[in-house]
Parts: sequence; C-alpha cells; structure tokens
Amino acid sequence: MNSTSRLLAALALGAAGAAFAQGNPPTTAPANPATAAGQQNPSGGPMGTTGVTPESGAAARTTTPPTVQSPPDTSSSSRTTMAASGDTPAMRRARADRN
Amino acid sequence: MLAAVLLLALAHMPEADAMDEAQWLARAAVAAADNRNAPFAVIDKRKARVFVFDATGRLQASSPVLLGLARGDDSVPGIGERAMSEIRPEERTTPAGRFATEPGLNTKGEDIVWIDYDAAVSMHRVRATQKSERRLQRLASPTVADNRISYGCVNVPAAFYDAYIKPVLGSRRGVVYVLPETMAAHKRFEFLSRSEQKLTRRGFTPAG
Repeated sequence: MNSTSRLLAALALGAAGAAFAQGNPPTTAPANPATAAGQQNPSGGPMGTTGVTPESGAAARTTTPPTVQSPPDTSSSSRTTMAASGDTPAMRRARADRN
Repeated sequence: MLAAVLLLALAHMPEADAMDEAQWLARAAVAAADNRNAPFAVIDKRKARVFVFDATGRLQASSPVLLGLARGDDSVPGIGERAMSEIRPEERTTPAGRFATEPGLNTKGEDIVWIDYDAAVSMHRVRATQKSERRLQRLASPTVADNRISYGCVNVPAAFYDAYIKPVLGSRRGVVYVLPETMAAHKRFEFLSRSEQKLTRRGFTPAG
C-alpha cells in the first residue's frame, strides 16, 4: 500500500467516524420554541418522571402526572416506617404537646 | 388465680387513708400484673407528685411536678388538634387513668414521653420559656396549689427526668397511672374494679 492509499484510507475512516458522531444531531426546530432545544425526551414523554415508561402519541399526552407525596397521616395511628418490636415502639410523628 | 393473688395482696395492704395513695395503687397494679412486669410511674394530681416504681412496685424516687391548670380528670374531645391559643383555661386538664406511654418527640425535637398522644399530653422536662408563668419557682415551692399551670402536660424537673423518667419510660413502652382528683381511684382503674365488690365486703374502700 503506497502513501496515497494510506491517506485515502485515513480520510475515509475519519469521515465515517464523523458520520457516526453526527448520527443524532441536535434539534434545530423544537416543537415549543419557548423551551428552545433544551433537553427533551426522545419519546415525547415528560422529563424527570423516573420510573415512568415514556409512551408515544395520545397515550403520552394523557400521562397522569406523578402523584404528590401526601403529608404524613395525622391520625392517632400514624407511625413512621421504623420497625417496631416488643416494647421498643416505632416512634410516632413528632407533634406539639400541651406544654 | 390472678384474682386470688390480687385479693391476697390487697388484703395485706393497710387502708388507703393510712398510706400514700400512689404506693397503694402501685402495689395493687403489681399484684394484678397490670404493669406487665415493668417499671412504671404513678402521678398523684392532688399532691402534684410523680412516683417512679420498679417492676416489683418498690418506690424508686418521687418528685413534684407541674400539672394542667384546670381541675378535672378528662381531656376535652379533640383538644389534641387545637392550637394552644384556642384552649380555654377550664380545658387545661391533665387526664386521669391508666396510660400506655411511649417515647416520642415534640415538634421542637425535644425527647418526651407521650402519656396520651391523641390528646397531646406528655411528660417532659419543665419548660421555663414563659417567664411570667414562673414554672421553676412553682416547682420549688412547698405548696401544691401553684403547681397547676400547664395546658395538660406533666412538667418534671429536668434532673429528675433524666435520672428516672427517661431511663424507665424514655426508650420503651411503659405505663403511667394518673390518679383522679374528682372521683374514686377504682372508677378509673379497671384492675381495681374487678375486685371492687369483694373489697367493699371486706370494708376496704379505695381512697376517692
């Protein structure tokens, strides 16, 4: 292989690498210009909802937003998640006493 | 069998008038195994004192305490959910009866002993945050009447709390008996009622 062949081979390899690197080009025309390109879910689902499988089409648009964690139960039976055993009780939620 | 043991124990007790009512109740509780073979405390509201007993009913220590301002043996329903500013003076009672206690925290992170969690009644170190209430002076005075100042909680001298209350009730479930001040003790303690008729026949009347 002469030097010209080597040069052509190197150029071809470089071009292929560049093509791979540019395989997923940034979005140049975002659906919502207000958000710019930003970071978007490629499947159209909401961002930041871990544990939710993105769905496409209408299903994705009707996805129920994540439920807000409700505050601890204020009933008398409310307990933390500490395990209780015997005479060592799970400590109840801290609350104000009657001083 | 249990009733027999209880009656035997009570039969050997002097009349309540002749001995401290707290100690009398402690012995009865141990005889009935009501304390579940664990240390416990008795609060005598009339004397404004707490008595700490070991599992066998032997007195370990006692101390003056501060109690609810109002005379009465019941908590107003729902009082535990109300702000302090919404509690009227006549509602500031310390409830009487047998309470299964548990260690806990209040919203300021202070370790306390819940006497009645639902009613927000706890036993804790005396708080002198409101100078005008003179809680420390009230505890130190020899009189009993001025020990009624709290909103229902039992205020204990800090040193006594750390030395006796916390070791006994501050890390495990326990039992606290609060003697009533408006009725006879046997009306508040089921283990006494079980033997009420036989005790009456013997001429024994729990102090009321």
